[in-house]
Amino acid sequence: MIPGAIVFEFPKDFFGGLWVTVQISALGLAGALIIGTGIALLRVSPLRPLRWIGAAYVEFFRNTPLVVQLFFLFLGLPLIGFRFASDTFDNIFRAACVGMALYHGAYVAEIVRGGLLGVDKGQIEAARSLGLSYVQMLRFVQLPQTFRSIVPPLGNIAIALVKNTSLASTIGVADLLFGAEVVESRTFRAEEGFGAATVLYLFLTGPLGFAVNALERRMLIAR
Amino acid sequence: MDITEFLQAHGLRPSTWPMFADPAIWRFFGEGIRETLLISVVAVAVSFVAGLLLALGRLSTRRWIRWPSIAWIESIRALPVLLLIVYFGIKGSSLFRPIFGPDFDLPRFWAGVLGLSMYTSAVLAEIIRAGILSLPRGQTEAARALGLSHPQTLRHVILPQALRLMVPAMMAQLTTVIKDTSLVGTIGVFELLRQGRTIYTQFFNPIEVLLIVAFIYFVICFVLSQLSRRLELGRAPRLARIKIQEVQLRDQAA
Repeated sequence: MIPGAIVFEFPKDFFGGLWVTVQISALGLAGALIIGTGIALLRVSPLRPLRWIGAAYVEFFRNTPLVVQLFFLFLGLPLIGFRFASDTFDNIFRAACVGMALYHGAYVAEIVRGGLLGVDKGQIEAARSLGLSYVQMLRFVQLPQTFRSIVPPLGNIAIALVKNTSLASTIGVADLLFGAEVVESRTFRAEEGFGAATVLYLFLTGPLGFAVNALERRMLIAR
Repeated sequence: MDITEFLQAHGLRPSTWPMFADPAIWRFFGEGIRETLLISVVAVAVSFVAGLLLALGRLSTRRWIRWPSIAWIESIRALPVLLLIVYFGIKGSSLFRPIFGPDFDLPRFWAGVLGLSMYTSAVLAEIIRAGILSLPRGQTEAARALGLSHPQTLRHVILPQALRLMVPAMMAQLTTVIKDTSLVGTIGVFELLRQGRTIYTQFFNPIEVLLIVAFIYFVICFVLSQLSRRLELGRAPRLARIKIQEVQLRDQAA
């Protein structure tokens, strides 16, 4: 018997699951970047209440487990009349995406904030004294300089996010880990099933890891 | 229409907050908290030992030790911790049967510890290695020049300094492990989240229960992360700080 053949015996569970994992990762990452940038702007804003809201968001989402947040999104919200979709499967899929975005958004926010604060103060003062409004200054001076320095840490977040999508299986999303569990319960071939899932996860996170490490090394030399 | 919708539509879901005044509920939560803290402390202790060995393996000058260590650490770090936990939850018992006899049944608790520490040891190995590499090379050279052997240098000069440098980073990792323990509920360890799930399946009140559970996790993790921040990473050299930041971002799981 050929090792790894189990993948082709149950292509729907493995490749279908892999596709769902990729989808949740992509949507979750996009959401996390948007949320994270927004929260980071709150955290550096000149208004104290806004800064306070940003800090509360970051601390809350970073210090509670993602599974608890996912359970809340898919079990708790429907009870107060909010569903992401009327269809049950759509609902848990979207709940998983939103959960990924909210949780990792908090980490993204901290990185973006670090990048924003890393921009030289003289630049900001110069931009303001040249007559740029606060928003213009953000748009043309502070944000563009921020993005360069935050790419490697954001890559690390992306890796964490891909791995964390496996938690979606606990709320019933048919992702890669879920597929492996299903195959195991049908065939009792745990080593093969989980081994195949392991290889497929490495297939996703491995190249990302290499890219981030290479970028980090380049940034280290540049600085 | 499912049961919760039905109850809601007919106004049959009264507020369940008053039930949390009952001390019995809190004893139930308390058991979960105890299990959560116990499993995370045991997992961190196990992973510290394993992580130290892995870090030394990765720094070894012998290729046949170094390369397998690198491959092991990097592939474990690239995996979801839940996959490891679920695997040991299913196969943990049969893995140990050749050693402990055919009737051996691995307790759920130890299956959870195994999954958690397999992952955490790889992460701690990277943190410890960053600490060791960040020490000035003069330390090793001086120790060797004074006639200490390589193991003696490690034992008396390098490790005491490197480990002390890495205490805040390891404490931060403890908060990650505490959050990760919420996953061992899926293989039947009765930790905090699992206890909460038992309550809300009885009383149909996931909102209240999950808010309380989230709040308890928040208090524990917030206090720990503030403590580790108080201890400051500032003393660690820049290269070690960058490595630690990377590890903390990439390997913070659930």
